[in-house]
Amino acid sequence: MTASPMPTAPVRERDPDTEGHVRPDSPWDVIVWDDPVNLMSYVVFVLRRVFGYPEPVARKLMLEVHNLGRALVAAEPREKAEMYVQQLHGYGLHATMQRTS
Amino acid sequence: MHLQPVEVELLRRMREGLRAVLDEGDRDDPVVARLFPSAVSDDPEADDELRGLLYDDLLAARLTGLDELVALLDGGTRHRGGLRVELDGEAAVLVLGVLNDLRLAIGARIGTEQLDRDAVGDDPDLAQRVAVMDHLAWLQEQLLAELDPPSVSVHDDLRP
Repeated sequence: MTASPMPTAPVRERDPDTEGHVRPDSPWDVIVWDDPVNLMSYVVFVLRRVFGYPEPVARKLMLEVHNLGRALVAAEPREKAEMYVQQLHGYGLHATMQRTS
Repeated sequence: MHLQPVEVELLRRMREGLRAVLDEGDRDDPVVARLFPSAVSDDPEADDELRGLLYDDLLAARLTGLDELVALLDGGTRHRGGLRVELDGEAAVLVLGVLNDLRLAIGARIGTEQLDRDAVGDDPDLAQRVAVMDHLAWLQEQLLAELDPPSVSVHDDLRP
């Protein structure tokens, strides 16, 4: 398992190995939603700034948001997920957290 | 950053407008709804709770950003018929964020979900708002090109 929360599959798919293994500190997904106003370059910038992702990763996530309407940008314990949502809202991105299913 | 007088005037006016909307804080106002969006999916109670927790800091940060923008404009120097504003890295990020808030506000006001760009020509008021949004976008791109050139490279592959 790599350290990066960067997903390689769409949000809807879950790794079958982890299904049913709910840890007590089960993480929360942080999702960024598309909106028609934010510039693609701005979204990339914000993802880089908030998560420290390299450009290709940030760009891939941005394109997912743009093309699919949403992207999973991180999976973290509750407090950290809240912090990320707060930061993303601060930059004007629409982000929500939800329990990892 | 180098701004023409008309741009400076526009930014000052927009700042006043947005500050008034934020001070009002009417949750039914689409601008407020967009600047303080949902925070938790699939759980309305948790969403209410988190949004409540985030509201004060987020509002304060937005208002501070608007104030800082005006302070930067006030501190600018006349240069070649316009205004020259010196921005260090953090100030540039701040201005970038404030410009984004202003664009989001216009977008929410005109309802970009339904925006049909071809129809814009028929409605002078709408056309003006869209023009301002596009112009602020151009200012954002300029700042991004300085702050984080790799982020601007996303345009390269997407030209027709």
